[in-house]
Amino acid sequence: MVESPFADSSSIPSPSPMATSTATNPGVRTHFKTPEGRYNLSREKTHSPGIPHYSLAAKVITQVALAHLKEKPTQSSTVSGGSASTVGGVRFTAARFLGAGNGSRSLGFGGGNGFTGRLSSNKSPTASNAGGPVGLGSSPLTSSYDGEGTYLIFNVGDAILISDYYSQEKEPIKTIQFGNANPVCHHFDEDAKDGNDLIIGLNTGDVYIASLRQQLQDSGKKLVGAMHFNKDGSINSSRCTAVSHVPNVEGLFVAAHADGNVFVYDKTKDSSGDAPFPPVKDAVQFHVAHARSSKSNPVARWHICQGSINGLSFSRDGTYLATVGRDGYLRVFDYAKETLVCGCKSYFGALLCCSWSPDGKYILTGGEDDLVQVWSMEDQAVVAWGVGHNSWVSAVAFDPFWEAPIPDTGAGEVTTYRFGSVGQDTQLLLWDLSMDEVVVPLRMAPVSSGSPSVLNHQAAGWDGAAHSVGPLRHAPARKEVPKLAPVMAHRVHAEPLSGLLFTKEAIVTACHEGNLKIWDRPGHGDNLLNHTPEVPATAVSKDRLLTSGKGGISHLRQ
Amino acid sequence: MGASSSKLEKVLGDQFPEGERYFGLENFGNTCYCNSVLQALYFCVPFREQLLEYCGQKKPVAESEENLLTCLSELFTQINSQKKKTGVIAPKRFVQRVRKQNELFRSYMHQDAHEFLNFLLNELVDILVKEAQAANSNSGSHTSPEKVVGNGATNGLANGNHKEPVVTWVHKIFQGTLTNETRCLRCETITARDETFLDLSLDIEQNSSITSCLRNFSSTETLNAEDKFFCDKCCSLQEAQKRMKIKSPPRILALHLKRFKYIEQLGRYKKLSYRVVFPLELKLCNTTDDAPGSEAEYSLFAVVVHVGSGPNHGHYVSLVKSHNHWLFFDDENVEIIDESIVQTFFGSTQEYSNNTDHGYILFYESLDQKK
Repeated sequence: MVESPFADSSSIPSPSPMATSTATNPGVRTHFKTPEGRYNLSREKTHSPGIPHYSLAAKVITQVALAHLKEKPTQSSTVSGGSASTVGGVRFTAARFLGAGNGSRSLGFGGGNGFTGRLSSNKSPTASNAGGPVGLGSSPLTSSYDGEGTYLIFNVGDAILISDYYSQEKEPIKTIQFGNANPVCHHFDEDAKDGNDLIIGLNTGDVYIASLRQQLQDSGKKLVGAMHFNKDGSINSSRCTAVSHVPNVEGLFVAAHADGNVFVYDKTKDSSGDAPFPPVKDAVQFHVAHARSSKSNPVARWHICQGSINGLSFSRDGTYLATVGRDGYLRVFDYAKETLVCGCKSYFGALLCCSWSPDGKYILTGGEDDLVQVWSMEDQAVVAWGVGHNSWVSAVAFDPFWEAPIPDTGAGEVTTYRFGSVGQDTQLLLWDLSMDEVVVPLRMAPVSSGSPSVLNHQAAGWDGAAHSVGPLRHAPARKEVPKLAPVMAHRVHAEPLSGLLFTKEAIVTACHEGNLKIWDRPGHGDNLLNHTPEVPATAVSKDRLLTSGKGGISHLRQ
Repeated sequence: MGASSSKLEKVLGDQFPEGERYFGLENFGNTCYCNSVLQALYFCVPFREQLLEYCGQKKPVAESEENLLTCLSELFTQINSQKKKTGVIAPKRFVQRVRKQNELFRSYMHQDAHEFLNFLLNELVDILVKEAQAANSNSGSHTSPEKVVGNGATNGLANGNHKEPVVTWVHKIFQGTLTNETRCLRCETITARDETFLDLSLDIEQNSSITSCLRNFSSTETLNAEDKFFCDKCCSLQEAQKRMKIKSPPRILALHLKRFKYIEQLGRYKKLSYRVVFPLELKLCNTTDDAPGSEAEYSLFAVVVHVGSGPNHGHYVSLVKSHNHWLFFDDENVEIIDESIVQTFFGSTQEYSNNTDHGYILFYESLDQKK
């Protein structure tokens, strides 16, 4: 038996800076440097002390989303059926979870908003709770932001927590408890016209959709005015692993589950009609089943793969849906056509997260091979591996606000992307990807045509998985993929990380146990009081977006 | 006990794998280190097959000829030939043999499962080598000496009196080769020395992955100051760089996480509860590029778990994958568990935690060499 040459030898320098500090000193430096300057820890958010530490263990992993609500400057018009001071205009968030990014299309403000009568359990709003809606901790909707509010939504233990993004207050302004079940994923869409902008998925398989504003106006600890789908797991009892609104299609959203299914729901349909789908015939085969009755909800079931779906992400215009899962495959679907377009296998192990570039050209994935993988839609191949994490990669995202330094020579169109990744090694890594640097290796033939470099076996562990993989590629060989090194690596928390998002002013990181840190971008340290986040953010991202020409496709199925 | 086994049968129902047996092992006073390793090895299919075959070939052995190999193959055969699908077996004879053979395991103290695995595999190799040599010298005089196969062990004596190492089936299953490359920083000459291994012992770090541990295992070390390298070409001590890579990956990859570390300040061993994540499928990142099968994919099939906060006490259990089901073996008890439970044995992010069940020895099987 062979011992490591470094066994018990204290003379060997520790290979990574985290090695020594982790064990002894939980302290984490409060700034990090990048080529563009220094990021400073600005503030932290955490759960209320009421949540006992032991209930946080392992089972639930914190995800984080940013939500921006714009309130009408004065009192809102009375809308039929319920909550008055709501949903005046929902505008761009500075960023969205899962990299869906900010809206790149124009929105109709004000028109047709407000709750419809569906929310039967709405409480009648009163003047008093509109003014100081929550009554916990600091008052969230003070007028210093002209009535606007920007919030961080995150899940910890059995609760969904809402924190005021700009305030220094550490504790959340709102805690929504689910009792025996744990919320494990959520998605906020500022464009939801009916005001039901927050989807929450539970470990029991249950899915809720509700109005964020209404939660803020309610003083209780329960979810209010929510529509409830897949009640007690009646349609699917496996854990709900990811949820998302369908961009550009009003009323539809999707929920992914641990058994490899994605369900498509229609908010405008009653949740009571159950939709019995036939049992999945072939667990490894992609198959879409539509509800038999036009009244029932969910309206469709996409069986994607064997094993859990760990993450999903829509391209910004809603054309494509990407999923990653336990079997290690990234799959890209044409959402409207319901077809599998392309995808590939991780180097090894499950994939845990995925995210689109704002222009829809690239998809980042991260997983159990410690790699950040860049998939090119144009090349239908993995064009880069980010090598730098010392453990699994749990969240990835492009930075839509970062501006590439202007190159010395004006010649040539070089697009540089900035993206980030966080891992279970407690590190945040930032990467720059210049597309002229990445030489795409010889275009690999699809697996079915048997390129010699392709490994000839299926994802491990699934016996009898010798199905045709179709447009999916096997794992690339080590030397086929160009490697990227991070421009910055920093240990940002003491616990493994689980969430990452870019806002115009900052980077937000989240750890497994529900602590959030907000790292101000260089030059954004003192903007807490006089920020003007929305308009410039939109302008920047519009400039950076290359219109893909696919906007405005109507996805309503016939 | 019977209740829980029949429960296992009930849970599996029609899915109970044909011909498979899930038996708990009785504990004879702190023999969980032995039971946990035995379960992992029993579900190491190529290993089990060899032992069953061995038992089939052998006539019943007299007590005087009894050794660890005969005891182990009898035990495996006993499990394999049970009429019932589940139950409990007392590995009495095997444990007695272990205690007879090795003073270390004679006491009723808590023992190290990795040391036991190490001891067991090396004992088996010794026995097989002796048998092969005996078979060789017997048959060698009568038949052609070129190829002698005894028990899967090939090639004892080659031409002349040059003696080649015997490659037993234990080697074929567990042995890999490391190459130790030293590059003299003066003349740039690379000296490579190969060595074989039956398992790899890895240093661990907090919040890391097994891939990262393997990368550190093969990271480059500089030899300088007191620790210079004697370069044959320069004929003098020189500064050099050294690294160790896997040249030939084994069929079964056993990875030992060094959770028990001697802390000089304390003057004793301490358990490192670090969270070290290990995937269900793995590729080795530290193989030499030209190694055949350097990018072979491995699949996790067993984990020996140490339960407890210190090195001198605690408990061992094992997780085993059989026919796509994960099973939890805790001495007599056998339970079916969900695959997602495996990740609760990664370790703790905090030193003092309620979770003291930590993966200690990982067994991966190469999918490329699977027959």
